[in-house]
Amino acid sequence: MSDRAREALYHALLWLVALLFFAPVFWIILSSFKTAPQILAVPPVLFFRPTFANYARLFATPSFQHHFFNSVTLSVLAVLIAVAVSFLAAFAFSRFRPAATNFLMFILLSIRMLPGSAAILPVYLMYVAFGWKDSFVAMTLFYAMFSIPFSVWILKGFIDGVSLRFDETGIVNGASWFSIIVRLTLPQVYPGVVAALIFNFIFVWNEFLFNYIIGGINTSNIPVLLATNLSQGGGIDWTFLSSLTTIYILPPILVVYFFQRYLLVGMTFGTVRGEV
Amino acid sequence: MAGSADATAATSSRRLLAHRPQRGLLTFLGRREVLPTLLIAPVLIFFIIWNTIPTLWLLGLSFYRFSLTSGRPPIYSGLYNYTSILNDSSTWFDLSRTFVFVVLAVGIETVLGFLLGLLFWGSNRLPGRRVALTLLFAPMVVTPVAAGTFWRLIYDPTFGVLDWFIRLSGFPAVRFLSDANFAFWSVLAVDIWMWTPFMVLMAMAALASVPKAELEAAEIDRLTWFQRFRLVILYHGKFILMLGLLLRTIDAFKTMDLIFDMTFGGPGTATELIAMTLFRRAFEDFNMGSSSALAVILLLISIAFTATFLYVLYLRERKVAAA
Repeated sequence: MSDRAREALYHALLWLVALLFFAPVFWIILSSFKTAPQILAVPPVLFFRPTFANYARLFATPSFQHHFFNSVTLSVLAVLIAVAVSFLAAFAFSRFRPAATNFLMFILLSIRMLPGSAAILPVYLMYVAFGWKDSFVAMTLFYAMFSIPFSVWILKGFIDGVSLRFDETGIVNGASWFSIIVRLTLPQVYPGVVAALIFNFIFVWNEFLFNYIIGGINTSNIPVLLATNLSQGGGIDWTFLSSLTTIYILPPILVVYFFQRYLLVGMTFGTVRGEV
Repeated sequence: MAGSADATAATSSRRLLAHRPQRGLLTFLGRREVLPTLLIAPVLIFFIIWNTIPTLWLLGLSFYRFSLTSGRPPIYSGLYNYTSILNDSSTWFDLSRTFVFVVLAVGIETVLGFLLGLLFWGSNRLPGRRVALTLLFAPMVVTPVAAGTFWRLIYDPTFGVLDWFIRLSGFPAVRFLSDANFAFWSVLAVDIWMWTPFMVLMAMAALASVPKAELEAAEIDRLTWFQRFRLVILYHGKFILMLGLLLRTIDAFKTMDLIFDMTFGGPGTATELIAMTLFRRAFEDFNMGSSSALAVILLLISIAFTATFLYVLYLRERKVAAA
């Protein structure tokens, strides 16, 4: 076999693997363009005339608009707060190494290692006692708190990589601390900030359990809608679910496409650098 | 050498920081003793309100008998909650089920992920590589609850596409999620689908860290494939692989959303992993004293995981420093 044919075969195999992993996702995307009988048809329908009625109905549903708005605002606000606050702390951890640095970094990380139901139980008790359940502000701040560990870890790694000479030059030339942090350090750790922003965004966007337990009608996002409003009038409304699912999983997939170079650093708490 | 130069730079910059002229409030806030505290303060406030206080609350409550539904005040009961959890065989069943789930999921994902990583090693000239990798990595960023939803459609015994294939090949239809013999394996399969891409990513990163020159040297020395794998690839890639393995183990231990959406721990307790057990005790039975104790036990397990993770990181840093 010639080299070119071998390479073509190899590339076809790689594509086959990628498509196999994507097949279940593809199936729900396909279903979202079907009518209800087509989704439930046996044998499964592969070729059909796509309908956009599911999407039209979805966008006109008030509960979808409400929950989608919650999803977007919660994830954007929480992540912005978390990254801003974490950047300052990461700078301090990296530059001044206060006595408890290692201990604090350890505690921060262990928050993220805890099973969700164990992490939320104490917060639930507190929220019930204080009457903070189903409050949008309390929900946002909780998500911000939960995004902090990841952000501090990832940003500290990046700030550690910036040479202290920059700080020194800044100090010698009379720069204020604000300038050193915001104008000298921030631009150099830009990739870390982007990675922290997008991976926390995906986390909050996909999060279900916390919202289900300490949230309510004011705060619940699309995953809560997906998990709790499955059946309508006895049967499961697959046209609604498939179009809702398709819309909702699109942003994370686009993030993987556009920010592929941050994927590695984002999936490993910033402990592995590089691209694939 | 580089290390000592950096250290000198650090001390000299610290000395510089300490000797800034002092003018007014801003300068005071900018002083070395004040600034770090000021910068860390917001994170600490978040941390104390949303983590320290609730955790202490949880710890305290774990020594009390307290149910949210009874309306009675908590009654101090010492270690009763802990002993009753540890003497309850169902807790041990759930823990061992979780253990089997974690070992099988992580084991299969690691082997499969590494093999696929090897396959994708030479993929630099793949046409449409970025799209292909996006499709491959999509499962791990897809909303778990959404994934649970569409796997329910695929697994459905009457109109699911998987059962259609099975019936087509002449076998009786399988009730993947409602048959107690199959539910555990069906959920495991979804977890493998979802997280093998993560191990592929880690394997690709590990393989990318292997120097080309050493591989060529190994080829010239006519090392067998197994020797090349053990002496060259594993030597350079083992830290990244270890980190991947650990992160995945921790995550598999936390599996919850998928189960919630697909089976809710059922049928019976066939898919009840420990996170789900805690959910049921806390938010269905509202038995807060006993579930607090279980949460404390899980917290201790997580701290052990975290310590292991940091130890591996520390080993890598020491190796980098020695090199």
